[in-house]
Amino acid sequence: MALLQIAEPGQSTVPHEHRLAAGIDLGTTNSLIASVKSGLAETLLDDNNRDILPSVVSYQADAIVVGDDAKAFAVSDAENTIISAKRLIGRSLNDIEQKYPNLPYQFVGNENHPNIQTRQGEINPVQVSSEILKSLAKRAEHALGGELTGVVITVPAYFDDAQRQSTKDAAKLAGIEVLRLLNEPTAAAVAYGLDSLSSADQKNSNEGVIAVYDLGGGTFDISILRLNKGVFEVLATGGDSALGGDDFDLLVVDYLVKNLGEEAGLVRPLSPSLERQLLQQACFAKEQLTTQSSVEVKLSLPNNNSFTTTITKEHFDQLIKPLVSKTLRACRRALKDAQITTDEIIEVVMVGGSTRVPLVRSEVENYFKRTPLTSIDPDKVVAIGAAIQADILAGNKPDSDILLLDVIPLSLGIETMGGLVEKIIPRNTTIPVAKAQEFTTFKDGQTAMAIHVLQGERELVDDCRSLARFELRGIPPMTAGAAHIRVTFKVDADGLLKVTAMEKSSKVAAYIEVKPAFGLEESQITQMLTDSMSNAEQDMQARMLKEQQVEAKRVLESVQSALAADGDLLTEEVRNNIAKGLFNLVDVTQKSAESVTGIKDIEEAIAQVDKLTAHFAELRMDSSIRQALAGHSVDEI
Amino acid sequence: MNYFDLFALPHSFSLDLSQLSSAFQALQKTAHPDKFAHASAQEQLLAVQKSATINDAYQTLKNPLKRAEYILLERDTDMPSEQASFQDNFFLMHQMELHEMLEELSTADDVDSAVDQARETLDTEFQTLFIQLEQLLQTHSNEADTKACEVVRKLKFYQKLQLELERIEEQLFDD
Repeated sequence: MALLQIAEPGQSTVPHEHRLAAGIDLGTTNSLIASVKSGLAETLLDDNNRDILPSVVSYQADAIVVGDDAKAFAVSDAENTIISAKRLIGRSLNDIEQKYPNLPYQFVGNENHPNIQTRQGEINPVQVSSEILKSLAKRAEHALGGELTGVVITVPAYFDDAQRQSTKDAAKLAGIEVLRLLNEPTAAAVAYGLDSLSSADQKNSNEGVIAVYDLGGGTFDISILRLNKGVFEVLATGGDSALGGDDFDLLVVDYLVKNLGEEAGLVRPLSPSLERQLLQQACFAKEQLTTQSSVEVKLSLPNNNSFTTTITKEHFDQLIKPLVSKTLRACRRALKDAQITTDEIIEVVMVGGSTRVPLVRSEVENYFKRTPLTSIDPDKVVAIGAAIQADILAGNKPDSDILLLDVIPLSLGIETMGGLVEKIIPRNTTIPVAKAQEFTTFKDGQTAMAIHVLQGERELVDDCRSLARFELRGIPPMTAGAAHIRVTFKVDADGLLKVTAMEKSSKVAAYIEVKPAFGLEESQITQMLTDSMSNAEQDMQARMLKEQQVEAKRVLESVQSALAADGDLLTEEVRNNIAKGLFNLVDVTQKSAESVTGIKDIEEAIAQVDKLTAHFAELRMDSSIRQALAGHSVDEI
Repeated sequence: MNYFDLFALPHSFSLDLSQLSSAFQALQKTAHPDKFAHASAQEQLLAVQKSATINDAYQTLKNPLKRAEYILLERDTDMPSEQASFQDNFFLMHQMELHEMLEELSTADDVDSAVDQARETLDTEFQTLFIQLEQLLQTHSNEADTKACEVVRKLKFYQKLQLELERIEEQLFDD
């Protein structure tokens, strides 16, 4: 990095650097990682040639075990073996206990930060997810032969802010750079969009409205997208972040316990290991019934007894029918939100392992009146779409025409008088989005205001998800209704919310990066990171230094290519000043490893370059926007 | 920046929606944060801001009532606040009748046809007002613009009724 290299105008300064990127499908039951290799997205295999990593983490005395190895402990050591952690992430204890009353774990911690007691101490669901991510990232770096620049992690489209934030925190804990959180159905649409939908034999097939029906192990999503010349515009999304194949299993378990309990000696409370065994048998039965008309379920009971019973497909279908109907109701609402009728849908894409259940397929087919697409393995399609997007986001495909326009799944609002929710951003709004609304004081002389941020569709605060509370203090005393408090909601491209509040006349401001009440605090994450390092203080410093060096490199690259492309927008003086700033940045970055103030020096040098280039960046953006439309109108003539 | 200028469209209430949508997509292809995912933090932040503005502009112009409000705001028309009392008593009385009509839907003998009829009533009355709005906005006078404000307010009442009807329908036909 001795001399600044300047490339041809319009060309990247580093034309041939291929950045390693991957897409991760962090699923409830199974997880996968995929990457684009020589133009083709494919799932990456472990040493035993398996691509599916069961989302199971077992906390053993001397090690943390992940995947199939952890699954081996599922029954024998149920309390220390966490399966389906995705169902717990970003949720309150109350929420978890109500939805899943028979989990084999011992919950500790408080209402908003439920932890699981294991023999390795208290473990948060975020940490469980982070172990899975770590294992996948390691696999990718091994398979790709280098360090990952960044990853795209998929989340259910219907995940709320707390669940999204917790997923991002898990990546942070795992030391993985997240390029984007991508909605699972959108990822699947990308995988299909580049494959079957754009194939030549289907007329006009890369334009039109498609539906993605995504039933995974623990979550259900329906997304309605309009495809047009590489643009994937999500028109509406709906679903249930607590409905999936696991729930089919639970229904079978409940049926077995309720109807055969006395006969078989299965009376609750059962031991954690027996609960786990029941679940495994139920899952086995479900899988067998995709091809068989009946299945025999065997349970080994305490005292060397065993119990056997038969479940028929008709009976299984009858048990799960209400849940399948529930998914179709969500489909109907999403279509309504998108203002689309089933006749306008040109393709229905099936995603998620639970769409293998025959009743699910036939009901979806009936509802949409067309045979759903299943040509890409429903277990892999999300990871493949994520890999394609990761490759683009990492900058490996500068000419890519693909653009994903996604939406927020649930309305965002704040509490007003009387326990009512005032919606600020309605559901299915395209992100990123920034919206402001003004509120006023209720009492004379009121100097503070509590702001309670909520997510959900219902009118009452109690029926919505509480995301965060914060206070705006120091409002000058005025008569009731005279103050103008402007509350601004900003949702970024990951679907994450930030809220700010300001009193307009006095400019008193309060700012909160909505850290949902049900996630980890920033300090906890730092603590966990430090705990995980053998030489904590030093390792932490090294990591932070590396992060700053990476950012310095990004700044250098992007300012250099900006200068190469649009340097003529600036006066020579400004160009020289920017060049000086860049030289300084190169200089401090080179010296940073030896300097005690290295991290801070880079930060300051970056801030300086940012300041010097702020106007330039804005000019470039505006000019590229003008050019986009100029080119556009020429196209249309 | 003015939203019509942003999309290089004429400042007019009648709008070619497909042109709006393709201009929107062309702009997002240059400004969306995904295009800057590997760029510096500064550029990423700028992209989020621009992209959010483009999204907001698109939503505003796409929705006819929001578009009308935007045009009236652009023309500096004095808009009465949402809370200001409504002068047209005849209109208010009629709104109450329409509310009653919706409330009685669930007890109708033939729910299906009652819902259809209610929808048609709301749609027809909405359309009549909407045509009025179009004409007023084309007039380009202060007086017409002030009247247009009132028509927009009335149309919003209808929008609420339509939402209410949808909610009732969902309740009636669910499960």
